[in-house]
Parts: sequence; structure tokens; C-alpha cells
Amino acid sequence: MMTPYLQLIALLEMSLTCAVVLIILFQKLFSKEIPFAIRLLAVLLLVNLFFWPLGMSLELPLSAYVRGVTGELSIVTMLLLWGSVLPSPKKTPLGFKVPVGLIAIVFYPLALGLGMLDPYAWGYGSIGLLTATIFFAIVCGLTGWTKGVWILSFAIIAWAAHWHESTNLWDYFLDPFLAIWALLAISNSIYQKRRERAQSGYLFRAG
Amino acid sequence: MNRVIAFCFLSLAAVLGYLHIDSRPVWAPFASNYPINHANQFDDASEISGGTKQSKMLKSATSVKPAQPSLRTDWLPDTGAPSVHAASLIALKDGAVRAFWFAGSREGAPDVVINTSVFDTQASRWSAPTVVVDRVSAEKGLSRYIAKLGNPVPARMADGRMQLFFVTVSIGGWAGSSISSMISDDEGLTWSRPARLISSPLINLSTLVKSPAISFVDGRLGLPAYHEWIGRFGEFLRIDAGQVIDKRRMSSGRDAIQPVVFTNDPQEAEAFFRQTRPSSKPKQIPASETKNAGQSWTATKDLEIPNPNSALAALTLVNGTRLMVLNNIESARYRLVMVMQEPSSPQWRVVQVLEDDESLLNNQHREFSYPYLISANGEDAHLTYTWNRTKIKHVYFPAAWFKHVASSSKEKEAQ
Repeated sequence: MMTPYLQLIALLEMSLTCAVVLIILFQKLFSKEIPFAIRLLAVLLLVNLFFWPLGMSLELPLSAYVRGVTGELSIVTMLLLWGSVLPSPKKTPLGFKVPVGLIAIVFYPLALGLGMLDPYAWGYGSIGLLTATIFFAIVCGLTGWTKGVWILSFAIIAWAAHWHESTNLWDYFLDPFLAIWALLAISNSIYQKRRERAQSGYLFRAG
Repeated sequence: MNRVIAFCFLSLAAVLGYLHIDSRPVWAPFASNYPINHANQFDDASEISGGTKQSKMLKSATSVKPAQPSLRTDWLPDTGAPSVHAASLIALKDGAVRAFWFAGSREGAPDVVINTSVFDTQASRWSAPTVVVDRVSAEKGLSRYIAKLGNPVPARMADGRMQLFFVTVSIGGWAGSSISSMISDDEGLTWSRPARLISSPLINLSTLVKSPAISFVDGRLGLPAYHEWIGRFGEFLRIDAGQVIDKRRMSSGRDAIQPVVFTNDPQEAEAFFRQTRPSSKPKQIPASETKNAGQSWTATKDLEIPNPNSALAALTLVNGTRLMVLNNIESARYRLVMVMQEPSSPQWRVVQVLEDDESLLNNQHREFSYPYLISANGEDAHLTYTWNRTKIKHVYFPAAWFKHVASSSKEKEAQ
């Protein structure tokens, strides 16, 4: 459906993603919240920097170099990233990160050749995978994370509309960067909980 | 309220997702290799499928006497590039043959381009080579950084257009490969903008192509591909124009890449692989089979022909005779032979030694590798292979040569 515009859309998305990542990194590095208006302006400037060919010895726009290395990011990753520069973004719940991390731990080894079962093949048209994704979105909504319902719905619609080059549903809602982010968040959360327990004296409490 | 709207939106997504799945084409049976001789082909195929149940052994040192008429050999045109590799072929509508290969300062160098040339079968002459795609045009077409180009594999689409699959790498070595494709309306003179095939969930890394595609009866293509990064295994991609619409695993683990496929009938096919096993395992050709047109594959007993971790070429002639060109040694690639399996026999036997260079040149054997076989009319065969990484050799096997080989073998059996 979107074939003539596939490359243009992909470069625009990647430019926006690069801009947002740079702003997030800047905020983290300097531990400073940039005001929303300035964030928006910076995003606009950086999107243009990444999207347009800069000439010189570069054959392509900067976003095309990043895309060459990272490939297309999933819709879920992009929407979560983009949403993080909006005013007062809410933290993504651990209840979303834990299933994503667990799915990734099982999915990637199987999809990369461990045994004859290939769950990635389900993404081309398995009604089971679609149902599971919808079920996951419903659970997100029922547990109060409505943003998750929107994000997963967009991912399904983007897949049905062939928004990206991939025709595989997995590529619209999971990618290695999302998986790493989820796994890091889980391990960080476990570490924080242990630290809290240690600080509260739980380990040294008399029995 | 926001939640209600979100659930309504999810319902819309669910409906669109369901409609998308519902509109997907059903998996079709394999098309016949040679539609004109459909009936004969099926008769032959049934014999083959019966025969393949038995063990297939390569008759050691069984070589047919020097054949008459002779083979015709020549070289693909020299582009001045020091390194050439991975030639492939396709028959054109006018009876000519078009070759593709990659050439550059060395394999994997940024200056590698994919060249093409046409072999005029009447004049037995190759046309001047031209560049199909280079690194810069590939990255502009694909709108992403490309570091190097690799194997080209042409295919004939159901509507008569030509499609060229080729490997590109953005990061790392060949393990970081992806497949792209271009389409030509004019038999390979001009090409469409390339499109990326997405076939792997990890940044689309590590899918390569080496062997010819096979057709389904619905006109779509089945492309034997392979991964060679964490795993080394074969995959069967179902292609609809410039996109992968399904894929199935042909093997697993780290043992087998570069599958070639022989179809037996609309549902059954066998695949043979280049082995990539550790030294403790047998250096033989791994095999898989399907009984449902490629929807699922099962590993079967090895084909007991030595393989030194090198590519095979495969071809079925119109009479059902199967051919493979391979290095039938356990290490190095200095010997290249053609083996044949006649429809009535389960055995593969050497019918032609193409190269056998046991002499050491600068302490190294010459390398004869990456064979590719096609037939222009179902009775003859064109073969190309890399000759010591510096040239591509082309060998033409006329139909009369195969007839002579078949009759010689029958005589021998009678004696």
C-alpha cells in the first residue's frame, strides 16, 4: 500500500528517532530537564540535520547511515521513544517490560536457528500471534496502561498497511533494542529492590 | 473515556489485522521445472521419488570415458578486476544466457560491483560486461548505508520479468548480510530501484542467497536462502515480487548452508547443502526433504558424497536426470566434478571431472568453487564457476553430450 513512500517514511522516522535519542542522552548526561518548547525546537532542528543529505563526502543523509546499522525499528520502540519527549511522560510500567523481556529471551534464540521451530515465521500471517498481541494490548488496558493499547494498536495497523519494508508482525512490535531496554529495566528493577531491602535492614533483621 | 477510545481503536486494529491475514495467499504446490513436458516430467519424477528412498552412494572413481561430442569452455569477460566470484546464470527469452557475477579488488571490498554479460549461443560469444549495481547505487536505492555487495542470483518471475536477488552487507562480514532484489522488464538491460527483503528479526542480519529460486504454481517464487551468523542453516523464503511473505526453516544448528533444491513433484522436494560442520563430524552433503511443497522440512540422511565446506550447483534436465557440480573432496576446493543421477537410478556417479589440480601453487591449491548450473532448453546445461578467484569459467554441455553419457553408462551396465 505504502510502497512508493516506504524509503521516505523510513528515513523520516529514523531522523526523528535519532533526534529524540540525542535529546534523551543529553538530558541523562547533564541530569537536566530541558523545557518542552526547547525540546521541540531541538527535535525539529535535529530531524532536519538527519533527514537531508549534507553533501561533502557523505553519499547519504545521516539517518541512512544509522538505518544501515540498526535497520528499521519497531513501531512500539519508536512510539515509546518519541513519547518520552512529550510533556510529563509517564514511566512505562514494569508489567510491560517483563513480558517483553521474557518473550525476547525465548524468541531470539529460536528465531536465530536453535532447533527447527521458528517463531519468527508466525509473524507472516499467524492468527495465533495476532490474537496474542491483541490479548496483550487488552491486558495493558485493563491494568491501567492505556498508552500500551494505543501503541500496540498502531503496530498492528502499521503491519496490516505494510508501513515498513517488513511483512512480519514481529518486526512491528519487537526489535533487539526494545528487548535490551526491557531486560536492562528488569535487572535494574531487581537491583533497586534488593538495595531497598538491604537499606531497610531486612537482611540483618533478627529472626 | 480514554481507555474506551483506546479499546475501540484496538478493535479496529484487530479487524484490519484479521483482514490482512485473510487476504494472504495460501501456500501453493511447486510448479513443474519444465511446463512443456509436464506429463513426462511427472512420470520421471515418480520414479525419482521411489528411488530416493534408497541410499544414494557416489560410485567411487566411476568415471565415464572421455565423452563425444566435446564440451565447450570459455571465460566470462574480464573486467580488469583482480577478484571475481559467485557467478550465476539465467536463460533469456531469445535463447541467449545472461550471467551475473561480482568483481572488485578483493571479495568484500567496497569497490565490488555486480557485473553482467550475455552469452550469444549462436556465436558462442560473451557481450561486453556492464555494471548492474555498485555499492553507491545500491545504498541510494535502498536508502541506507551499504558497505559491500555479494552473491547475485537471478530468477524468472511468473509474468516473464527478471528478478535479481543480491546480497548486501552494512556492518561486519558476510554474517551481517541481507538480501535485496531488483526487477527488470527488459531481460536485464535496465533495473528497478532495489528493495530490501526482510527475513530476520535481529536487525535483518544474516540472510544470504546463492542458489536458484524455484516456482510455485501460483507464480510466486521459493528462494532457498541461508543464515550464517549465530546459526548456520537453510531457509526457504516465499517471495512475492519484492517482499518475503513467508519463510520456513530447512535445517537447524550450525551445519548446513547454501541449499540447492530438487523438486520431485508438486509436493515433494529434496534439498542438499554445503556442510559447515566441525572437523569431528562427517564431511558429507547434509540433506533435507519436504512433503508439503516446502511448508516444513525434515533433515534426512546425508548424501554420501564428500564436501569440503563448499557450494553445490544443481539442475534437473527435462528427462528427469539430475545433475550436480561440486568439490567431491573433504578439504580444499582443487577438484570439481559433475555428478549425475539418472531417473531410474538412486546412485550419483561422476560423469565429468572438470578440474583436478593437486599441484601446489605458492603452497596453495588452486580453488574451483561456487558452481552454478542452468539449462536453456531442458536438455543442455550451462555451468559457471570461480576459477582460482581470478576468472569465471563457463562450460557448455550440449544435449548430445548428456545422451552420450547416458548411453555409455547403459553400455557399461550391460557389460
